[in-house]
Amino acid sequence: MKRILIGTVLAAASMNVFAVAPGGPGCGWGNMLFEGQSGLPSHLIASITNGTSGNATFGMTSGTNGCDTSGRLAYNGKPMLVLSSIMSELSEDVARGEGEALTTYAVVLGIDVEDRDHFAALTHAHFSEIFPSADVTAEQVHATTLSLMSKDPILAKYAEQA
Amino acid sequence: MLKRLIPLLLGSISLGVHAAPTVTDSQLQALATERHWLNLGHYQPGRFSGWRSYVDDNSFFLAADGASNPASELQATLQALYAPVGDDPNQHAQCRYPSRTRWLSEQLQLSGLPTPECSEYREWYEDINPHATVLVFPDAYLNSPSSMFGHTLLRIDSPDTQASGTSLLTYALNFGAMVENMDNSMLYAWKGLAGGYPGQFSLLPYRDKIGEYSRLENRDLWEYQLDLSPEETARMVEHVWELRQVIFDYFFFDENCSYRLLELLEVARPGLRLTEQFPLTAIPADTVRAVREAGMISDVHYRPSRERELLARAEPLTPPELRWVRQLADDDGVLQSSEYQALPAPRRALIQEAAYRLVRYEAAGQQRDSANAARSYQLLQAINRNPPPALQIETPTYPEFGHESRTWQLAAGSREGRAFAEYGLRMAYHDLADNLAGFPLGAQIELGDIKLRQYEGNHWQLEEFGLVNIRSLTPRSALLKPWSWQVEAGWERVAGEDGKRRLVPHLNGGGGFAWQPWDGVLGYSMTTMRLEHHRDFDAPLSAAAGFNAGLLWRNSLGNLLLEGRGDYFDNGEVRRSLQLAQQWELGRDLGLRLQASREFSQFSAAQTEFALQLRWYYY
Repeated sequence: MKRILIGTVLAAASMNVFAVAPGGPGCGWGNMLFEGQSGLPSHLIASITNGTSGNATFGMTSGTNGCDTSGRLAYNGKPMLVLSSIMSELSEDVARGEGEALTTYAVVLGIDVEDRDHFAALTHAHFSEIFPSADVTAEQVHATTLSLMSKDPILAKYAEQA
Repeated sequence: MLKRLIPLLLGSISLGVHAAPTVTDSQLQALATERHWLNLGHYQPGRFSGWRSYVDDNSFFLAADGASNPASELQATLQALYAPVGDDPNQHAQCRYPSRTRWLSEQLQLSGLPTPECSEYREWYEDINPHATVLVFPDAYLNSPSSMFGHTLLRIDSPDTQASGTSLLTYALNFGAMVENMDNSMLYAWKGLAGGYPGQFSLLPYRDKIGEYSRLENRDLWEYQLDLSPEETARMVEHVWELRQVIFDYFFFDENCSYRLLELLEVARPGLRLTEQFPLTAIPADTVRAVREAGMISDVHYRPSRERELLARAEPLTPPELRWVRQLADDDGVLQSSEYQALPAPRRALIQEAAYRLVRYEAAGQQRDSANAARSYQLLQAINRNPPPALQIETPTYPEFGHESRTWQLAAGSREGRAFAEYGLRMAYHDLADNLAGFPLGAQIELGDIKLRQYEGNHWQLEEFGLVNIRSLTPRSALLKPWSWQVEAGWERVAGEDGKRRLVPHLNGGGGFAWQPWDGVLGYSMTTMRLEHHRDFDAPLSAAAGFNAGLLWRNSLGNLLLEGRGDYFDNGEVRRSLQLAQQWELGRDLGLRLQASREFSQFSAAQTEFALQLRWYYY
């Protein structure tokens, strides 16, 4: 029973940590645009057996992208988690006004099918605000998107949910 | 907290209540030889008798002899399912083996099972939210010999993945060797072949896999939607949970990624027989073909690599426009120049898009560089102001529609007036002149190629025993400047004393460039090095430097290959040859090849050979 108690205390403590650093250290949320995607050092070698190095990742429970997913509910983690890993692709799609990463972003923001084209048009028109420089982080992109949405008559309802 | 205590108390009270049902021995034996149970334990018939599991990990089995005894594993599983729930319910057999649990309770109508709260499993399962299965085949990657055979993985889609086009949100299930970073490539290659690496399943976001294959390795991805029902997909994912952190032996040729995935499909749909088609080797493209032949593919989606997209973007550009692309990629300040701004807007849209893609292409696999990032960003802004039309890339022939991997060869010919018949078998898989559909032009991988000759007078000779022969011809273009290279090892016949032909072991390789002056024509030129052991040479090992240049032409009959080689040995021998091959593609798995060669050597006068060869691609 003591163990359960300690666990609860720790959980509460770690909640507070998340409040400061969402996703935890090493998480991609602070990544900037065009973050280098370097492969394994022995890349050519690893590709023969399609190798993974060290502990094999096994879905959510072992964390993704270095982010601690246990904070996800409090921090609307799913959109952030996805965004931080597709940010370069997203910036391309927003620049062009369409693409798979942009659709994915709309979906994780909870935008219904019929409003996704509108979302694409809105972000395309505001590319330079959402991505003001090459050093923008995922958190900033997310925040700007939400504020743009909240000012839009059609998309405002999704910004409130998010 | 009281709530947590109650199940604990109940657990201890009910210790005597939960007991394994009495299953007769014959019932148990019968159940243990059921196909699905054997699939769940990854059992295969043992070398002499009995069973052995592909799983090389004691933690996977509940019985001490579980790895070789499906019946005792079943007995132990049954016991464990009824075990009281301990401190950590997630450690209970029902939580560790959801797939075994479901199947056994269905088969034996188990009742009175304890009900542990499998929170870890449930959370994991709900996050994946399995609904449909996609077989993903990253195509062969020319410039890395290791991945030349391709690879296969599975993608698990959730209910709305298809409709909303959100495959970036799905998980990829991958089986691969666990490679320690310190290993060097020779050791690696050896271990891969000999089975020294442990293999494991991993489950990671599909978007990461796309990044790895399409961006870093420039491999096209083929996504095959399988006709597995939601129930079948669920059954498979349930079993995948049982395999987390479980270690299999990894063998490059047979017990590889493709073999393991076929096993999973058999778990998904009991009664499906896929693995038994691959007793010897499982080449990924062949396993895709097996799935295709089982009628399981309902839809195909082609995801071109970033390199292919870049080349497609550059394709409609003129040479001066390509120079703009290069300039923009090197200096985004050019965007502002009046000369550049004078170009028509629709052309600029294409040029800056190609330049952006070129910058990203060149930065792939590198650490982030802020100057490069700033340049990419400036180009993106230009794209944003003047977006190009959507990129259309035609889907090539599906790889599984290419010829089969093993080749039987039958030839009749004449060498210096002596007639011969030649019988050949090649274990894998494609050479420059072979039937092209489903393969890239200029790629060759041959493994285990043996040719026997029967000259007139029933005189038999081993003509060639090739171990490995790989050639990678990737054309240079205005934007991309790749190397071409080749490597070959084995035994072959070369000129010797008195006009005789000696069988020599040799190793040779070369590097150089290839060009594509017109569509369907590939020219190449390489510098080569060669080592061989020739009984008519004084030294046990002789070295040669040389050249290899040729022309590959895709014509209406098939491929034509014309090439010249020269080897200049350290001992003064000069060996040169001119070779011609024209393939006539008779069908997907049948080809006729005309071969002619003229060979020159210091040992004797030039020798000429003609042959007509039937090539049957089989299995």
